[in-house]
Amino acid sequence: MKIKSLTAAVLASLALAMGFSSCSDDEEEASVTNNYSIYQKAVDNQVILGKKNNKAILLVAFGSTWQNAFKAFDNTVEAYKKQFPDCDVYMSFSSAICINRAAAGEHANDSGDDKAERRNYYAPNFWLHAFGSAKYEEITVQSLQVIPGEEYSRVINYIKDFANNSLGDLDDKYLSKVSLKLGTPLLNNTDDVDNVAKIINKLYSSEAKKAAVAFMGHGNPDSYDTYKANIRYTQLEEALQKYSKNYFVGTVDMPDNYKQDVYARMKSAGLESGKVILYPLMSIAGDHAHNDMAGEGDEYWDESDEESEDNSWNEYFSHKGYTTKCNIKGLLEIEDIRKVWIEHTKNPVELEDYYHSMYPED
Amino acid sequence: MKLKFKLATLAYIAGGFLCATFAQEKVETLEEIVVTGTGTEHLLKNAPVQTEIISRKTLDSYGGKSIEEILGGLTASFSFEEGDMGSQAQLNGLGNSYILILVDGKRLHGDVGGENDLSQIDPLNIDHIEIVKGAQSALYGSDAMAGVINIITKKHHDEGIYLENTTRYGCYNDIRQHNGVGLTYGKLNSFTNFQLQHNDGWRNTTQEYTEGKVVNDSRKKTSNERTNWQLAERLTYSFNKNFEVYADGSYHKKNIYRPQDGHYASCDVYTYDLMYKNMSASVGSKWKLNKNDLLSADVDWNKHAYFYNYTATTLTDGYDPLGRFTNYFPYFRGQKSLQSDQQRIIANVKGVFNLSKENKLSTGIEYRYDYLKAPMRTEGGTAGDWTGSFYLQDEFNPFAWLNLTGGLRLNENGNFGFRATPKINAMFSVKDFRFRMGWSQGFKTPTTKELYYRYLHVMGSSTYFNMGNTDLKPQTSNYYSVGAEYRGDKFTVSTTVYLNKLDNMITLVNVPVDEIPVDATSAYIGDGSGEVIARKYKNMEDAQTQGADLNITYKICKNLSVGGNYSYLDTKAHEYNASKKKLIEVTIDGMAHHKWNGYVNWNQALTSVYKLGVNLSTRGSSKRYYQNNGDGAPFQLWRLNTTHDFSKKGKLMSYRAEAGVDNLFNYIDKTMHPYHLGTNNPGRTFYIGFSIKFNQGKNIKPTKISNSKTFSDED
Repeated sequence: MKIKSLTAAVLASLALAMGFSSCSDDEEEASVTNNYSIYQKAVDNQVILGKKNNKAILLVAFGSTWQNAFKAFDNTVEAYKKQFPDCDVYMSFSSAICINRAAAGEHANDSGDDKAERRNYYAPNFWLHAFGSAKYEEITVQSLQVIPGEEYSRVINYIKDFANNSLGDLDDKYLSKVSLKLGTPLLNNTDDVDNVAKIINKLYSSEAKKAAVAFMGHGNPDSYDTYKANIRYTQLEEALQKYSKNYFVGTVDMPDNYKQDVYARMKSAGLESGKVILYPLMSIAGDHAHNDMAGEGDEYWDESDEESEDNSWNEYFSHKGYTTKCNIKGLLEIEDIRKVWIEHTKNPVELEDYYHSMYPED
Repeated sequence: MKLKFKLATLAYIAGGFLCATFAQEKVETLEEIVVTGTGTEHLLKNAPVQTEIISRKTLDSYGGKSIEEILGGLTASFSFEEGDMGSQAQLNGLGNSYILILVDGKRLHGDVGGENDLSQIDPLNIDHIEIVKGAQSALYGSDAMAGVINIITKKHHDEGIYLENTTRYGCYNDIRQHNGVGLTYGKLNSFTNFQLQHNDGWRNTTQEYTEGKVVNDSRKKTSNERTNWQLAERLTYSFNKNFEVYADGSYHKKNIYRPQDGHYASCDVYTYDLMYKNMSASVGSKWKLNKNDLLSADVDWNKHAYFYNYTATTLTDGYDPLGRFTNYFPYFRGQKSLQSDQQRIIANVKGVFNLSKENKLSTGIEYRYDYLKAPMRTEGGTAGDWTGSFYLQDEFNPFAWLNLTGGLRLNENGNFGFRATPKINAMFSVKDFRFRMGWSQGFKTPTTKELYYRYLHVMGSSTYFNMGNTDLKPQTSNYYSVGAEYRGDKFTVSTTVYLNKLDNMITLVNVPVDEIPVDATSAYIGDGSGEVIARKYKNMEDAQTQGADLNITYKICKNLSVGGNYSYLDTKAHEYNASKKKLIEVTIDGMAHHKWNGYVNWNQALTSVYKLGVNLSTRGSSKRYYQNNGDGAPFQLWRLNTTHDFSKKGKLMSYRAEAGVDNLFNYIDKTMHPYHLGTNNPGRTFYIGFSIKFNQGKNIKPTKISNSKTFSDED
């Protein structure tokens, strides 16, 4: 009898402990499988309700969590709206974290005027699907990248997924007719490089007469340089040096074109001292521009390892005997440069052969 | 500082006066029993392996609200890296994953990285705490390279019913609730424990460095709001005096809530809270073969699940409706997603045999299986690892003045093969003096997390992509220590000098960003802001921690005692830096050269039913060093705790009140985010607590130990 009650007690205790785990995690997971379509529906509805024109322009950037970058993107959208009055202009981030944070926070639950801080930079795939649901006749996707690198290749993939009706719930007849266009990055080809060099020289030629003017781009790390896009930085420096030998273009991540490589080129050009003026060559001025380029103080300088990626360009060139001046402005904030992107939108690549439905029988 | 010194002196003098006035009763010394070092019971002073103890009395007079507060305030060897997500323990320079935490001899289960959640321990249900440093024990595994903390919980052996309620309330809505229900009916004993902890969290500063400037209105908290509760049940059935079986289980849930009103998307906006669920179940038995020999067998199962609780729409890695991987799977407010589920089974059979008068042998086998399920954080979604061990330990007393304890643990790991780790300790006794020396080897295989895990870790304005590494080698250690101890009736002093050398120490190091697999996450690279930092678990070439610990207690009289601890630490570590292509010397994060604490404690029965206790204590640390984000400022904190016991002999009910002030001088480290703090203490806080005990029945089970000292672990 005692054994029985003991066994029962032990089993009950084990059952109690195991029972706690019976509210399975899988069940919790199962309830969210519809999330994707619920979210997509919300974006679809937003576009359907707000649609004013038959043409849409989707601007795609990696994204940012910085206030100044949000403003730069806002201004870019405004500039596009002015240039393309017959188009609805949308802004998209490809970084999930940037999308999440831009949409949440203090003002997320406010309404009315205070709502200004809430920004829905939906991911490109959701916007494109929503455009399909709203049946825009013409869609132009404009890459806000600087070089045609890894990020740009992802932009192309979003368009392909859309054109191929990858989720299978868009109207195939519509997809076979919709006019799809692609606006290329700032430095898509050598003509762009020459054009941008000309604009830069127009802006900074007076500075280049008195000082070295160095631009800091991002660049793709070795293994991500799928399209050899890094070459645009080298080409830009060559194009700029046709105007003045004092122009230099380096990067954060492109192999053999780091700050120490820029310094080596400066030295061989005979610029061993004097003034260096630094500019970011990035669409917006965020972490890289503020820290990697303009960072000042002990945190940005490790004497024992001068070439460390943690050492800022500002500290590096200062310690190399130059006087430095930093200008922090993203390329989207410079009107003449922004116009190049706008020109790319006006003269896009026609994507006539992208449609190939995954579900032709539907 | 002058004021602090004066106050401390005043307290000391006043204490002396009180002592002189009331110290009429005979001084008695309570002997403390420890088990952690060898797995066998010893009087503290005769423990072959140097053991530090935090007694029930010390715990009662200090009135700590959490394990962090207790260990941080009552030993000098511990420090806590206190962040907004919780605290990480450090023991003599080595972090959480090197510290083995036992509750009544059983491994606490936590994160696969070994980062145990200390809130699983009810601070109001601790009888005493034993600490053994280094991988000195063959019994608990050699992976305890920093040391072992054994939390011994209160036991209830009385026949009849035992009820206990403790409620403690403090600033920042700090709530600690503890309930114990003990029932003994014939041979069946049941103990149910409930605990609840809550704190609203606090903000030491609104300054934060972000977006290239200092902002003054960051909403980030220094410590986030948190709530956790736990229900535990233990059933014991004693067939007779020599054979008992038990079954126990527990459920623990913890929520960490982050501010919802962030100002800056770059640093203080969060879209999810954190939630943890822990469960455990065990069965086992103890069989006393005869007066001295013992056999025990246990099987433990533990589960630790970690979730995100979404507070706003959040896109994260997942699978789209066609089953394709996407970086944009949406979760909505109120939903949760499983980040990891870690389960562990340990089966253990152990025997203690007195081979002769001089020889005591402990031996056992252990099997451990770790299972990790992390759908979005491992390549295949799951991973597993097993280790089998056989251990032997002999306590040899050839002479009354000499004890030699040798141990050997043989480990066989599924991924990393075989390794033997020897340990040897010698203790020489001369009257009340003990001299100990020891050498022990440690061996720690990479955890499933270190091997396979990969995840995006967002810390304020910094985003890290952390990656496991299947090329890791196991870590090994050699721990050497020499100690001397004097333990008299009134005065005790002990000092230990140690050196802990680790090879292949595993740590997260920065690696080039292109080591992150393309499409593993959406944030792998930026175009001008929010750059992700890639980090990978790697073996450091070597690391060593060395230092000295000093503990002193002096019982001035029955009512008054003083004591203090000091710990000196130095660390050295080398790692290969891939971008610099050379070995560089690095700091072990969180290291401080000097840490100390001290106390004055006075207890006096003022009437036949009322006893007053007053405890003034202090703790401090010199500068704490970090590789990134600045060093932690030195600090010294003071604390006053008073206890008020109301009880009458023979009565069923007893009452206890507690009131105190933590951080008397209101020191607040206001270093801006995201830089390191020396201490995250919120400043001066007040608290009160009240306990009621109902104890019906008589004590039926005093316990005997081998060296014939009788003790009871129930008061």
